[in-house]
Amino acid sequence: MNNVYIYDGSFINLLNLLYYLLKNNIRPTNIKKKGYLGSLFDYLIELDLRKINKSDALIKKLGKTVIHHIYYVYLSEEENKEIIIYYYLLNYFKYGPNLNKMRNLKCVSETLRISKKVGNEAHKMKGFIRFKELKNNILYASFAPDNNVLEIVSLHFKKRLANEYWLIKDEKRKIISIYDKKDFYILNEEMFNISEYILSDNELEMVNLWQTFYNTIGIKERKNPRCQMNFMPKKYWPYIIEMSGENEKSC
Amino acid sequence: MNLNEKLQILADSAKYDASCSSSGSKRTSSLGNTHIAGICHSFASDGRCISLLKILLTNICIFDCKYCLNRRSNNIKRAIFTPEEICEITINFYRRNYIEGLFLSSGIINSPDYTMELLIKTVSLLRNKYHFGGYIHAKSIPGASDYLLKKLGSLVDRLSANIELPTENGLKLLAPNKDMHKVDHIMGYVRDNRSRNYVPAGQSTQMIIGATHETDLDIMTKSENMYNNYKLKRVFYSAYISVNKDALLPSLNIPPLKRENRLYQADWLLRYYNFKVSDLLDQDSPNFNILVDPKVSWSLKHLDEYPKEVTTCSYNELLKVPGIGITSAKRIIKSRSHFQLTFADLKKMGVVLKRANYFITCNGKYNINSELFNKKFIEANLVLEDRKENAEENMHQLRLFHE
Repeated sequence: MNNVYIYDGSFINLLNLLYYLLKNNIRPTNIKKKGYLGSLFDYLIELDLRKINKSDALIKKLGKTVIHHIYYVYLSEEENKEIIIYYYLLNYFKYGPNLNKMRNLKCVSETLRISKKVGNEAHKMKGFIRFKELKNNILYASFAPDNNVLEIVSLHFKKRLANEYWLIKDEKRKIISIYDKKDFYILNEEMFNISEYILSDNELEMVNLWQTFYNTIGIKERKNPRCQMNFMPKKYWPYIIEMSGENEKSC
Repeated sequence: MNLNEKLQILADSAKYDASCSSSGSKRTSSLGNTHIAGICHSFASDGRCISLLKILLTNICIFDCKYCLNRRSNNIKRAIFTPEEICEITINFYRRNYIEGLFLSSGIINSPDYTMELLIKTVSLLRNKYHFGGYIHAKSIPGASDYLLKKLGSLVDRLSANIELPTENGLKLLAPNKDMHKVDHIMGYVRDNRSRNYVPAGQSTQMIIGATHETDLDIMTKSENMYNNYKLKRVFYSAYISVNKDALLPSLNIPPLKRENRLYQADWLLRYYNFKVSDLLDQDSPNFNILVDPKVSWSLKHLDEYPKEVTTCSYNELLKVPGIGITSAKRIIKSRSHFQLTFADLKKMGVVLKRANYFITCNGKYNINSELFNKKFIEANLVLEDRKENAEENMHQLRLFHE
């Protein structure tokens, strides 16, 4: 029988569950988010994780670097991310802080690889996100990253655009980050629905200026679409204003 | 002339400047901040990163440098931005997250001091009226007074002055109004005054490649001197593109991009891999081998020192192995005391085995047939490898110029 432990998808309860499993020396076959259907041989186990209430203690014990890595893995869309984190922590309690140097262990190389991948995408999004100015001066952006990086980019824009009201919508996950000049809140799309986004008066002029700049700055004698696409993959183009028209042109 | 036309003219005139980095500064303000690692916001059709709004304040210029699009004797459309216009575009672009900041350069209008004052006025408006905390890279104008240099440097993150050509003779020939000593003076001034509040992200410069007959040795020697004497952050290399026809200029159909690429690779070796120019080039071979990168070239010359044993050799030795970079060298050093390395582990750590294979052993094991350890075989394979990597790009370049 495969013992598959179920959690609600939150990071806190994932930590609670991991604490419980490690503490009691339980080896799960897999750990899955609620809604997992399972196969014929799966035995699904769902605990009352709130009761365990050990997430804070675990965060404290593991320290900044380890938490950073497992949190970033948690934000990824990797198929077996939870069980990778489980094995990473299992080995962490065996080897301690030297673990990150042991890239020959699969759970280590996978954790570091996925964490880096998520970090890289978040960094890219800090550059590729494009805001539109709405009628009431609110800045609005939408994007569709592979990984759940909305919180990471929100932290960035909280510092950068501290004196603006802004909204960032993740079209893939249907969640939206709202900043009120003090802090940001991440909500489900249904909880915050603007049916119409009316652009400010000079928005189109600015988009035009940017388009002019973008088209002018490339040197035609050095044209290199492959290099351009390596750095700025096509999947992001629909949300990058200077590229959104390119899709139809080149296809 | 409307704003769109101006932007078109003044971005077009600014595009040959290679620098677009936005790293190395920590600044925060009510509007904007800088990111220590820099952020790329877009990539232009030539594959270069767009991080900063790269424009000239004006393309009017009293100089007549042969290679420059904006030279006095060229009959082109001229434009000039007002400081307010530049602020408007910068702030609006920045709020929409199009850019990381501003890269402001200028043709020389009236006099160096006059031009410099216009640059200062613009940047000062941005910082003081708009409280702009984003990245600003300004070009300083050679020949401007020191007090202006002081003022401008206190407002920006990076200041640069382009040396353009590696030797004084080259400069005299192509840029008779330019004086190398004036550029030296700026670099010296910035070096002596640099602090957290003065040019925090350091200074950089640029050289044009292939407009004169100077060798790679001339160019790299100049770079090395500037890195050592002026603590420059970066030297940029820009393959010469024939924008003007002139008897003194070569008429190149294709910009020497491969040469530019080799120079950048060598530049990295100087800054991060503890190489000296004298390791790489000498009077007998003053130019890089265009077929392989400079590190491979060096390793082939020193084949008698190879293969290196990765489990015991020093960090410095690891760095010199083709296919091993700074990150992978550090990872090897960190982990080899914790477990026994295998070739598969090396690969996981980011070592490019198809290059490194020829130059290393791992626990005494050579990964390929050891009878094949000879210069001709290795060189042929690495040349092939290099070509494969660049094939598509080259094909594209060729196609472009045959059209």
